[in-house]
Amino acid sequence: MIWAIDIVLLLFIIILAIGAVLARDLLEAVVLFSAFSLLMCVIWVELNSVDVAFTEAAVGAGVSTVMMIAAIAKTVRWEEP
Amino acid sequence: MIETVLAKYNYVIYVTMMMIGFYGMIGKKNLIKKCIGINIFQYSLFLFFISMADINGGTAPIIIEPSQAAALGIDIMYVNPLPHVLILTAIVVCVSTTAVALSLVIRIHKEFGTIEEDKILQAWSPGVD
Amino acid sequence: MMSGKEYTTFMDDIIVRTVTRLMVPLILLWALYVLIHGAGGPGGGFQAGCVLAAGFILYALSFGLEKTKSIMTIKWISLFSSLGVLIYAGTGLLPLFFGGKYLEYGKIPLINPIKASEYGIEAIEIGVGITVMAVMLSIFYDLSTERED
Repeated sequence: MIWAIDIVLLLFIIILAIGAVLARDLLEAVVLFSAFSLLMCVIWVELNSVDVAFTEAAVGAGVSTVMMIAAIAKTVRWEEP
Repeated sequence: MIETVLAKYNYVIYVTMMMIGFYGMIGKKNLIKKCIGINIFQYSLFLFFISMADINGGTAPIIIEPSQAAALGIDIMYVNPLPHVLILTAIVVCVSTTAVALSLVIRIHKEFGTIEEDKILQAWSPGVD
Repeated sequence: MMSGKEYTTFMDDIIVRTVTRLMVPLILLWALYVLIHGAGGPGGGFQAGCVLAAGFILYALSFGLEKTKSIMTIKWISLFSSLGVLIYAGTGLLPLFFGGKYLEYGKIPLINPIKASEYGIEAIEIGVGITVMAVMLSIFYDLSTERED
């Protein structure tokens, strides 16, 4: 692993996680979480575990996000303060 | 001391991420936010396990024929594939728990009309109806 | 709440429809590639099933749930989800008839014993992929269908 790329990716991960937890709009939070999953997939390729990265790209960024969006479409979109 | 901590920066990041997920779980009232918090918590644990498996100068655990490696004149060092398999199972469990939690959230919204935890607790009066 | 109006304007978008029409066959083909190459490289049954389900979900997102349900009906999904388990269990039980143990493929005649474990794991991964595809799609249907009860 190359430590410079690793540190930049991990800092992006932290920023996206904070954004996903703090966003008022739930749809925005879910999209930030999807980007979090995709960057996690890049980190796992970088940590030499291609199999986990594959699963992550299929499940985390694809199916899980769609399920959360379906749940938001059936409930409410905005988080109350 | 500080060099030891900075050399293992993956572990620092994983603890930070775990705390963010924990805050999402217990500090946010919205139930979908709680689901996102649980997911971030689980991803931090995955990062911990995969970081343990990695070694300096290692390559992905896809087998290369020994004759081919000898022809290239390199000795191949694979990373440990056992934590990868554990995390593969954990990702399956993660998506299953997310699906169950989201269906429970939809059912709660149908019953109470809200997904905020404090309002649900306000509206919920066990044994009265 | 996503109202019906926003949904129809999004679904009538010609760019989304064209890209989906081009992408869905490629996604399904790639899922089959992942399924077949699971023994010797990254990939496998669960990943292939998820990619197959993601192809159908993409189709449902751009052409509507009703049309997807008319292609991949609930009956087919319940059939597929049990068919995969049947393939897995059948492949496992087949060596028992030739004096082997459960999942001991080398005992099956007609195939080369050296290649036997490779072929056996492929058969098992086909079963896993079919079941995962059906279960993922049924979760998606259940989460996004409006049920009146």
